[in-house]
Amino acid sequence: MPQRLQHALRRAFRSLWENAYLNSVSTGVIAATVLLFGVYLSIQFNLNRLVDTWDRDIHISAYFHPDVPEQRRFDVRDEIAKRGEVQQVRYVSAEAANAWMQQRMPAMEAILEELGSDTLPASLEISLTPDAARPNTIDDFARTLSVTDFSDVDYGQEWIEKFEGFLALLKLLGAIMGSLILIAALFLVMNTVHLVVYNRRNELEIQKLVGATDGYIVAPFLIEGFIQGLMGSLLALLGLAAVHRLLVERLKDTFELAITADLHFLPGSYIAALFIAGSILGVGAALLAVQRFLSKVS
Amino acid sequence: MIRAYHVTKRYGDVHALRDVTVKLGKGEFCYVTGPSGAGKTTMLKMLYGSVTPTEGKLLVGGVDISKLSRRRLPYLRRNIGIVFQDFKLIPSRTLSENVGLALEVLGTSRDVIDRRVNAVLSIVGLRGRGHEYPMTLSGGEQQRVAVARAIVNDPSILLADEPTGNLDGAMAIEVMEILQAINLRGTTVMVATHDTGLMNRFPFRKLRFEAGRLVES
Repeated sequence: MPQRLQHALRRAFRSLWENAYLNSVSTGVIAATVLLFGVYLSIQFNLNRLVDTWDRDIHISAYFHPDVPEQRRFDVRDEIAKRGEVQQVRYVSAEAANAWMQQRMPAMEAILEELGSDTLPASLEISLTPDAARPNTIDDFARTLSVTDFSDVDYGQEWIEKFEGFLALLKLLGAIMGSLILIAALFLVMNTVHLVVYNRRNELEIQKLVGATDGYIVAPFLIEGFIQGLMGSLLALLGLAAVHRLLVERLKDTFELAITADLHFLPGSYIAALFIAGSILGVGAALLAVQRFLSKVS
Repeated sequence: MIRAYHVTKRYGDVHALRDVTVKLGKGEFCYVTGPSGAGKTTMLKMLYGSVTPTEGKLLVGGVDISKLSRRRLPYLRRNIGIVFQDFKLIPSRTLSENVGLALEVLGTSRDVIDRRVNAVLSIVGLRGRGHEYPMTLSGGEQQRVAVARAIVNDPSILLADEPTGNLDGAMAIEVMEILQAINLRGTTVMVATHDTGLMNRFPFRKLRFEAGRLVES
């Protein structure tokens, strides 16, 4: 290992030890910031997963005109089944639809019987392949269905689009809030590092007088910032894991398994991103604080 | 080694130095003297690049201070040892660490640092005391540590700003004897002082300043 790096590491660890309280404060601020980011990323990640699941579950209900002959309905079903983006097509006769309705809503049995067995039209339940099951591709697919055969095509598009709009808004709010939190955290950590620098100002001035370069002076602070960033991120992730576990337990008690099975902890790439964010915060704040000091020392 | 040509330093409307022209050769010993506010400290600060001349040209070891960039300044200082009246030692570091700092900034290995530090501590009469802390030493001993730090990387110039100002007579003489010994090894030494007794005891060339002007050289 180069001598300069050895010296810098030694000075960094020594400073971490000698300024334990201030370094703990910096680490705490980084941990709090990364935890907030982690919570936000967890919410976004799970909502995105949920939307993906819904996208995959989307199917199209195409209702036949009452006057379309039954043979024609089967032919249409077979034609649609041959299309590449279609995973499955199921023909639901009017009788089957009514029977299903009666089963689901027994209280309305009398009304449905009075209305007759053709209250609900025959339909095709079409499931698309995962690649094609996206709101815009479903929309394109639905448009290709013949208006002469079908009276109505339903695939819950509006609701999903609204939810995706909500997600986009959430991302925007997250970006704005995230930036504000980041700036506030940067300011806080920078000022804490500045206190460490102030504590050591005589030593740093002496280093300058004996010929230390700015790099020599800055290096240990960057190492300290990096270590604080890593430690802060680690604490934040432990906190996030605890929050996740608590939330899953609570939801399990309240909603049974259905919802909790869909709640996932952040994947590796997100965890790595949080570590990187914490380290950048630590290093960036240290750099700004020391540069501010160096600019005043001749 | 040091050449100043019509050097002037102004702080706003106040002249700290006025039109100073002087030459100092390699291995020379000289005093910078004069009353308080005469410009002694400004002259020394200029030589180690802490302040830059407002006008004129100042060459230190062939380097033009007035044109020196901030990035190049550390490299100039590595060739200049500096001793201050208030010692400027780091209280939380041992004597060895304080002295070794001047080598550490160069990226010198720990073995070489230890060897050099022990050698210079012997020169200033503090052999075997490297593990002690500055606050446990007398003023004279602390100043000797500061001198040891100033010479540990074997600089060609040693600047001392009132190095005996905080010391009593005997200790001041000890420090001056060390500076003289360093000078005898070929280092150019410049000492800012207004202690006439000391200058009479150790007679060397005097650069006398008054109100920023060099009145005797």
